[in-house]
Amino acid sequence: MSSMNKSPDQAYWRSLEELGDKPEFRQFLEGEFPAEAAVPTDAVSRRRFLQLMGASVAMAGVVGCRWPEEKIVPFTSRPEGVDPGIPRGFATAMELAGEMRPLVVTSYDGRPIKVEGNADHPLSLGATDHFAQALVLELFDPDRSRHAVERHGGTEHKRSWNDFETYAAEHFGALRASGGTGLAFLVERSSSPTRAAMQDRVREVFPQAGWFEWEPLTRDNERSGAAQAFGHAVATNYRLGEAKVVACFDADLFQDHPTALRNAREYTAARRVEDGRMNRLYVVEAGYSITGGMADHRFPTASSAIGTTLLQLAAELTTKQGLDLPGDFGGMKEALGHAGHAPAWIPALARDLMHHRGASVIAVGSRQPDWVHTLAHLLNRALGNTGRTVVHVDLSDRNRPHHAAAMGFLADSVGRGSVNTLVVLGGNPVFDGPADTDMAGLFAKIEHTIHLSDFVNETSKACAWHLPRAHTLESWSDVRDAEGRYSVVQPLIRPLYEGRTPIELLALLLEGSPAAGHVLVRSTADGMLPVLDRETAWLKLLQSGVLTGSESVEVVPTLEGRGIVAGVRRGAAAHAPELGENNLEIIFQRDPSLYDGRFANNGWLQELPDFMTKLTWDNAAILGYATAEALGVKHGDLLTLDVGGRTLEMAAFVQPGQAPWTCVVQLGHGRTAAGRVGDGTGFDTYTLRTAATLDFSDGLKIGRTGRSYPLSTTQDHFAIDATGRNEREQRSHTLILEGTYEEYKQDPNFVEHRHHLPPLRSLWEERTYEGHAWGMTIDLNSCNGCNACVVACQAENNIPVVGKDQVGRGREMSWIRLDRYFQGEPDEAKVAQQPVACVHCEMAPCEQVCPVGATMHSAEGLNEMAYNRCVGTRYCANNCPYKVRRFNFFNFNKDIPDVQQMVYNPEVTIRARGVMEKCTYCVQRIESVKIEAKNEGREVRDGEIKTACQQTCPTDAIVFGDLNDETSKVAELTANERSYHMLAELNIKPRTSYLARLRNPNPELAESSDGHPAH
Amino acid sequence: MDHDKQGRDSFEFPKWANAIRLPVALMAAGAPVYILGMLYLLFDPGTTSVGYQPEQPVSYSHRLHAGELGIDCRYCHTGVEKGAAATLPPTQTCMNCHATIKTESDRLTLVRESYQTGLPIEWVRIHDLPDFVYFNHSAHVTRGIGCESCHGRIDQMEVVSQAEGLNMGWCLGCHRDPEAHLRPVDEATTMGWTPGLDQRELGAQLREARNINPPTDCSTCHR
Repeated sequence: MSSMNKSPDQAYWRSLEELGDKPEFRQFLEGEFPAEAAVPTDAVSRRRFLQLMGASVAMAGVVGCRWPEEKIVPFTSRPEGVDPGIPRGFATAMELAGEMRPLVVTSYDGRPIKVEGNADHPLSLGATDHFAQALVLELFDPDRSRHAVERHGGTEHKRSWNDFETYAAEHFGALRASGGTGLAFLVERSSSPTRAAMQDRVREVFPQAGWFEWEPLTRDNERSGAAQAFGHAVATNYRLGEAKVVACFDADLFQDHPTALRNAREYTAARRVEDGRMNRLYVVEAGYSITGGMADHRFPTASSAIGTTLLQLAAELTTKQGLDLPGDFGGMKEALGHAGHAPAWIPALARDLMHHRGASVIAVGSRQPDWVHTLAHLLNRALGNTGRTVVHVDLSDRNRPHHAAAMGFLADSVGRGSVNTLVVLGGNPVFDGPADTDMAGLFAKIEHTIHLSDFVNETSKACAWHLPRAHTLESWSDVRDAEGRYSVVQPLIRPLYEGRTPIELLALLLEGSPAAGHVLVRSTADGMLPVLDRETAWLKLLQSGVLTGSESVEVVPTLEGRGIVAGVRRGAAAHAPELGENNLEIIFQRDPSLYDGRFANNGWLQELPDFMTKLTWDNAAILGYATAEALGVKHGDLLTLDVGGRTLEMAAFVQPGQAPWTCVVQLGHGRTAAGRVGDGTGFDTYTLRTAATLDFSDGLKIGRTGRSYPLSTTQDHFAIDATGRNEREQRSHTLILEGTYEEYKQDPNFVEHRHHLPPLRSLWEERTYEGHAWGMTIDLNSCNGCNACVVACQAENNIPVVGKDQVGRGREMSWIRLDRYFQGEPDEAKVAQQPVACVHCEMAPCEQVCPVGATMHSAEGLNEMAYNRCVGTRYCANNCPYKVRRFNFFNFNKDIPDVQQMVYNPEVTIRARGVMEKCTYCVQRIESVKIEAKNEGREVRDGEIKTACQQTCPTDAIVFGDLNDETSKVAELTANERSYHMLAELNIKPRTSYLARLRNPNPELAESSDGHPAH
Repeated sequence: MDHDKQGRDSFEFPKWANAIRLPVALMAAGAPVYILGMLYLLFDPGTTSVGYQPEQPVSYSHRLHAGELGIDCRYCHTGVEKGAAATLPPTQTCMNCHATIKTESDRLTLVRESYQTGLPIEWVRIHDLPDFVYFNHSAHVTRGIGCESCHGRIDQMEVVSQAEGLNMGWCLGCHRDPEAHLRPVDEATTMGWTPGLDQRELGAQLREARNINPPTDCSTCHR
């Protein structure tokens, strides 16, 4: 810690570079847009530019004075209810590894342009995650597969569905006759009842065929943990709204869970102090998760030691604190006796749990082995949580083998030569399969391989047939959510290319003739709809997107004593490995942006800064600060990771708050057949991941190559105050304010005393606002930094993607910046997230310096940009104290392929090179609601205007409305005692105010500032 | 040519040049103003757009339909009270009448073809605002701005042409002074409507009654 120049205890810092205050960092901060290079990356020099300009002026006269002639092409027969130019929403859903997300998609003249959550669906209530937000860009991806491809002998041939049907008629005709001998299906996980029905049909038509399901990111440990505890697999969901104490053991409940959006919403609702509620969150994990960032107490612990930690908690609860086990568990005491010496925080957590029996949660994440889940089920039952805060529902696919096992079976069958036809429905197993199975080799051994996929990906290239798949937004399908609710996936647009859905392909292979997706789905749905008036019920289902009353009944399964004791004994016997310099732990995580790699070609997601590392366009080997020091590794060094003889060169990222001797790697980068965006970004960490080590493994050795690798992170960009380090340190407290629940209870106005303002005087004449006065509040106590708002803003406002090089130069365009601050010692740092977009100052400094009146103030208080007037002096960005203005250094929209231009929101201008832009409070949405209200002769209702970020926010952290309307939610929150303005001392009257974050540390653990008692 | 003292050639203006000194100086000073003025006029929407009258694929006569027959604007332009676009009618709308009227007319060949083949008729856009301008028809028509105020006497046009320049100053003129143009909402589509009393007085009354405050902020039209 000696290299740290200042005491890390008091101040907030954004990166280790900043904390260390190295000269490179100071250099980086110089200038408004750091690393601002005068030479553009393309070859057009200034001189050449002037020549071109001269030529184009000369030619302007030739072109004439009129705009190019435009055509208006009306329908020949307009469908009922369609009004050109008036957007309409359709309820549908998407699936990600069998986990559904309920959606409402906005269609603008037949083009799906924006995704929102389905407000009628209890898992969404209008919110989505960033994957759903980015769905429209995937639909219009120019790299999507456009036709079938047949490969043999190294050559590929363009084929059509007709060609495939001819091939299939013969080949699958023969297979039908033989009962499917030699046939195997390798499928993605899906909750679709129609697909399940087709799987049954496969058993009838092809009784000899194999059916294997593979997902690289799986919750199978959770299933087997439940199976051990209850005798059969059940799904575990949470009611965090009822919980006062939540303890997460490697569980990312707010992001990586089938009900994550509801979890996040209920958890934050349960700590809204204004409603008299406050809960407490403990997180035990290795690397930071979204949930870890929200924790009141976070204990960085290696993944392999988390089971032991839970054992210690169980021992403490049962032996020292008198928790009775629900029934007779012979041998349990002895097993728990081996738990070992517990760290000092365990008794405190145990006491907290004992005080909140029936209102607490012990959650274990999908990465942890089965016995840890088993133990959690036992403890939740003993604490009386089961049925209250922890609920179980039956799984529809509870008897399927584990994904890793299924892949093993398939490999064995192929090895025995008993598979000659493999049908792969979706997925990308050649890329994301276990590293110890030679997937490409496996595929090469099979004579007939058929892959249905959106993209010609790594797997398609290993198959004899590639078939184009219809995108979710082009598909008829159906899904069940984590609680069994039935929804229909309906298409927003006819397939752009000849894509078909997995169920349509299955129908073709099973019955020998193509079937329409909606017929297949309808026949499944009809089985669930009432017989009387079925048509109306069907239309209602399509309209609302969810079938009411279709959710599964909650079950309270009986505990299986023997299984539990055996599991716990096994866990207690398996000692956590001794980690150290020559034996690190590697932890495999889904990429927060790319998921398992399937979104690699999505520019919005590639450029989305990771919620914690702020890394874009790459993944990295994430190491803790002390670990990196010990290994002599610096940020950006190219390392050699060696685990069990498998090696990979990968860049290092030094990250605060990570457990010692652990290395987190994210999966999904390093694609070779993703497309023009996703090829060659980051490192392919699947090459280190075997069937036995899908989650984490010890035995990692790290070597240095002596080379370095450029990583583009946004974490130090737009640092709010570059004028002086000391000044910044003093101010950090006033940018992001937080307190403890205790402080709040003693003095709800604690925020006021945090930051004493000098007497405020205005530099300019103050305006008054009659009519509307738009404003926003952002509750830092709710925001968990999930990034959904960032992508929502990008989709709504046509914000361009600029690429890794430009991000590295600090030129990212995203209007919302999620400032992530650390506080405390690097290895046990606390985190705070703060979304910052234009705050629409009433006395806006940017407006004062614009020489051409391009940024003006509206009568309703919006700080608005007239792009057409902007000449690109960038004075406004210089003068903006919040650093929220973004400049178009290049014409980022110029070379966008036609099909991708379909994603643009027609209500928002496309900005050209040399133009400044920034958050507009979604002025297009404001105007549209205002016009509609006035058309109907009424006032705008509170809550009627929702900005894109607000609409998608799972935790309702963002509220927008009219500050002049005293009854509005936003006015109420602005008047809240936790409310404060960032940089209030400047007296520029921002319209966005923040609500201070409250932490609720356990008083027993609160003696030291970082939540860790001396031990 | 004279020689100066060092013997080099030097040029001297002839005497008569003195007489044109003032006119030349004035012309030199006036040239930029003149050039800018001409450029302004050349690119001014008033010059470029007013009277723009492209040939349409079907020689549809607004004078006949809207004028003589008195069909309301909204029969075809159905979106005008609901959304941003007034919308052009689908071929179906034409055929509502022309399935029985003038079924053999040569001028309707394209319409019948379109109806039968499902291929749309490609009309040429006349009123074309720049792409960075967001105009909303419903916001004007439902406030009592007549179609005529912007589009002129459509009912007298055999072939439609652009009546107004539709430039920003022209828009702002009305936004700053709506009294001069407001009419009762149910008269919005009436062509040649005249106020019973003084327009300014009526405009003021309507403005007061309907709380009409046309904004002049940038974001009203530019987003």
